[in-house]
Amino acid sequence: MNLDRNAIKAAVRAKVIELAKNLGMDASDIGDDDIIPATGYIDSGAILELVVWYEDAYQMPLRQEEINIDNLGSINSMADFVLKRKG
Amino acid sequence: MAFALHAPRVNNNDDIVQVIAFRVAVGDFVKQGDIVLDVETDKAIVEVAAENAGYVLKLMCAVDDKVAVGSVLLWQGETIDEPVPETAVVAPATGGGNVRPTAKARALLKELGLDAGVVPASGDRLSLADVETYIAAHGIQRRDHIPAVTVSARESVPDVAGELVDLNAEERGMLITVSWHRDHAAATYLEVEYDPKAWEDHAAAYASANKLMLSPLLPLLAYRYVQLAKANPRVNATVVNGKRFQYQPVNLGFTVQAGETLYLTVVRDADALETQPFIEALGEVQRHAIQRKLSREETSGATLAFSSMARWNVSRHIPILPPYCSLMIAHAAPKGSGRAVLGASYDHRVLSGFDVARLLMELAKPPV
Repeated sequence: MNLDRNAIKAAVRAKVIELAKNLGMDASDIGDDDIIPATGYIDSGAILELVVWYEDAYQMPLRQEEINIDNLGSINSMADFVLKRKG
Repeated sequence: MAFALHAPRVNNNDDIVQVIAFRVAVGDFVKQGDIVLDVETDKAIVEVAAENAGYVLKLMCAVDDKVAVGSVLLWQGETIDEPVPETAVVAPATGGGNVRPTAKARALLKELGLDAGVVPASGDRLSLADVETYIAAHGIQRRDHIPAVTVSARESVPDVAGELVDLNAEERGMLITVSWHRDHAAATYLEVEYDPKAWEDHAAAYASANKLMLSPLLPLLAYRYVQLAKANPRVNATVVNGKRFQYQPVNLGFTVQAGETLYLTVVRDADALETQPFIEALGEVQRHAIQRKLSREETSGATLAFSSMARWNVSRHIPILPPYCSLMIAHAAPKGSGRAVLGASYDHRVLSGFDVARLLMELAKPPV
């Protein structure tokens, strides 16, 4: 587990692109501050998979109420939330 | 008096579970809800929690044992020195007194590996109907009621070159479920079309107000369904022994596709939850399904069910009724069509087309 902010962002981005690809979408141009659910690249089922991957990758079980736009809405916020919790 | 912890039904299709690990030993005191062992099926590993507090008196199986659903895994007692029944099948008193099972009830208890003490008696004796009512309420399936899954001897092999191949566990499970639907429920189907815009707007406003990551459209639809069932208990029932079995809680079954596996996850006592706690509870069981960490509580006891194939752009699907469910609603919303569909498989022994159509038409409108 690499807790460098850029490494976290790269890993999240790669996962979003992978999940989007499974749905026939190309998410390679997603921005770091784009609100992931609003991009339309991945649907709720894929967001659920993203959240489960995130919990596992950073060994960070989430409470249901933590799964919100403020904490996990974008690539940047997902990276910041890991660092906040692990810091 | 010693009391038993039984092997859970992890999903509708597996009648056997394998013990993976014990987390307690004889002499330990466990609290209600403590995890005492792990079991595995072909589809998942599940933690089994103690249903009651008490001392562990005896383990009835060992790691790697394969045991039938409903059989006794271990005995507990209020004190450490209580005697344990000789076998997994006992016929002593129920909670209130010395209620002996009838011969037929005893035979069924033996078949299921159930302790008579856990089954409430409705009269002076524990009757067959008492046991059948209990297993219906707990989603326990009788082996002799499971339809044969092998090719009938009378069924001829097609007159085309080929070979017979054994089904894998998931294929067998699906065949059993479909056979139950065919053999037990008087299942039929109807659907209504609706304009999805009002629901989409409602869900978008809710998501924005609550800063949700996942679209709440399906959870909100499911919650509305629960509320309608609460207001119309007739839909939250099944038939057992020629009588209506009216469920008290609304336990909502909600399908989750996790990889190749389709789970019917369950939110228990959904009718007692407010909107946001329900959405969170549903989100939690969905995550557990993806993680393959569903508990027994999250995979059993559904009284109603809901499914959506909108993700796959399906225009219609006719669901199979889960055992002891009389209604399963199927949502579909073909992309770009501007319309959506609420379909329902229902058990005509319990519900009429009018009952179901009325409920679907109400469900098609978001709450005001």
